[in-house]
Amino acid sequence: MSPSAPLTSPAPPRPYQRTTFRARHRPVVRGLAEAFFSADGEVEPAQLDAFVDEVDRFVSPASKTLRWGLLVMLDVVRWAPLFVLGRFSTFEGLPRAEKTRMLEAMDRSKIAELTLIVVAYKTIMSILFFESAIELSALGYPGPERHRYRRGLPLTTPTAIPTPLAAATTTTTTTTTATATTTS
Amino acid sequence: MNTPGEYLRGREMTRPFRAKVDAVIVGSGAGGAVLARELARDGRSVLVLEEGGHYTKEQYGAMPPSEAIRSLFREAGLSAAVGLGDTPLIATLAGKCVGGSSVLTGGVCFRVPEDILHGWSNDLKLPDVSPDALDPYFSEIERDIHVETVPDHMRSRSTELFVEGADKMGIPIKSLRRNTSGCKGASRCNFGCPNGAKMSVDVSFLPDAVQHGATILSDALAEKIDMAGGRATGVRGRLLDPVTGEPKIAFEVAAKVVIVACGSLHTPVLLRRSGMDDVDIGRHVTLHPGFRVGALFDEAVHGWDGALQSVYSDHFHDDGITLVGVYTAVNVLAAAFPGVGREHRRLAKRLPNLAFFGGMIHDEGGGQVRRWISREPLLLYRMSPRDKARLLRGIQIVGKMAFAAGAKEVLLPIFGSTTFKSEAELDFLTERPPSAKRIECMAFHPLGSAKMSIDPRGGVVKPTGEAWSCDNLIIADGSVLPTSIGVNSQLPVMSMALKIARGLRADWSTYARRAM
Repeated sequence: MSPSAPLTSPAPPRPYQRTTFRARHRPVVRGLAEAFFSADGEVEPAQLDAFVDEVDRFVSPASKTLRWGLLVMLDVVRWAPLFVLGRFSTFEGLPRAEKTRMLEAMDRSKIAELTLIVVAYKTIMSILFFESAIELSALGYPGPERHRYRRGLPLTTPTAIPTPLAAATTTTTTTTTATATTTS
Repeated sequence: MNTPGEYLRGREMTRPFRAKVDAVIVGSGAGGAVLARELARDGRSVLVLEEGGHYTKEQYGAMPPSEAIRSLFREAGLSAAVGLGDTPLIATLAGKCVGGSSVLTGGVCFRVPEDILHGWSNDLKLPDVSPDALDPYFSEIERDIHVETVPDHMRSRSTELFVEGADKMGIPIKSLRRNTSGCKGASRCNFGCPNGAKMSVDVSFLPDAVQHGATILSDALAEKIDMAGGRATGVRGRLLDPVTGEPKIAFEVAAKVVIVACGSLHTPVLLRRSGMDDVDIGRHVTLHPGFRVGALFDEAVHGWDGALQSVYSDHFHDDGITLVGVYTAVNVLAAAFPGVGREHRRLAKRLPNLAFFGGMIHDEGGGQVRRWISREPLLLYRMSPRDKARLLRGIQIVGKMAFAAGAKEVLLPIFGSTTFKSEAELDFLTERPPSAKRIECMAFHPLGSAKMSIDPRGGVVKPTGEAWSCDNLIIADGSVLPTSIGVNSQLPVMSMALKIARGLRADWSTYARRAM
């Protein structure tokens, strides 16, 4: 076998650069983020703007068909105030509290497809939103440190602190299995 | 022995690629990797084509979950089976990277239950699939991917609480076996192990295959199997563009034997696209629909500290329900909480007090894979009333386990529901069942879309793995399993692939003669 361009690289491959959202979709995504995570205005407007790009980056590796489906969902959300709330407004034009109210109504709707739209975007956006170090910390997540596995590690316990004289002759250690008391 | 092979990245290639090998393998997951190692060890020239990217265990281990989802999962983790009739939309997760879905499993390893194997032997008349006949294959794979029993000390507090609940209900719980070595309980196996402890095929079988001369080409989308005179002669497709990810530069591989192992969802698409018209291609797909139940406790649970999965119960095996301990990355768990806005954030802030447990059902096989307008397949699934009842019963059992363990609130996988505060509130699941479309459901084990049979009218491949309608075309992934197995599929898929590979090795001269 003779490949025409045998290249290898130790670096991870670069992510693909394609995008999904068009101009009309971006305010809807921003409005969804505001309703989901900033009911009391706790997220800065600039953060919400940047979040739209994160969502776009997340969904863009999906196939054209699936991305088209996600865009259709946004179009439905955009015009949903008309038939969910009876308000003649686009979703992004609603006040913050009304956005949340509309999504709650869709979430509990008897029309399962409306519920699925809320669930789909809530899932995607929550994965991204709650991944930030600030949010993880606010949730009480301590980071990657783990303790339970240490309960199974063999413990190497020095039986005596070696003095220079003792060290010159012998060092004694014992190996035992850690017990539950070793966990924090 | 061959000289060592190499890893190539299609997205870094700038010219069309042509190769001539003994065996070309489409797919680098649990099935393809076994074939690659076996044939390379046998001295055959092997090229493995993988549509996804190649990431080392250090690279994917350092990815936050969202990055892993968009880089390693098919459809950015958003693929789903479309429910027909009273059927949920089922999130169907699969890998798209070197190593395939094995990189993204929880590491759980089960042998195929003996009653299932007896059914394959006695009812379907498949040869050499009895528990005794498959034992050597199971044993060898278990050794090679380091299958070990999860020790009790690796159980998270989340799991311990459900075990306590199960004890109070008289439900026996057993320790799981997983393919790990040095697990540190990061509880995020399904986004790539951050500690390199999971023995997925990218760290176990594929390096062995490369050491024995196999070449792994990533970012290579196989689009068509070449056939001539009723025999497979090679594979053609296109390398993915480094900027857009769309297929661009053509490649063509001539081979004596073509092995298809792109998983139950993509194998049928490739077969159809190549002109095969067997009626069973893409049909009979089983999914093992699964569910997850959350439970709020007064105590701090910190469920992230411990093995992602460590226990299970087969107490309800005869009812088609397997209960399995489960956890995952906290931001992914937070995504599944009910409510919108303040209510959703209220629950998210209780995350340290939340425990999770789940289960899956042994389903009837109401799925069908079809070609679709993009390169991803359309998976349709019709859940039988029996399976819907099993699903709701499983959710109810796990909910009761949570209350038995002392949970104050239970979060059911029912869209639009709030939390439940007493065991009696769970009765509606069986007394006034909700529409299946409101059930949050997921599947990790699509199987059976090109099933094995002893008769061309009953399936797509022979017991040897060779297609009934095309010589020298071997299928070696979960699609050949003839029925639902009711347990996690990695070990069964690898063991069946090993059996197929050993048969191919033993009979290589026949395949080679046909190719001349």
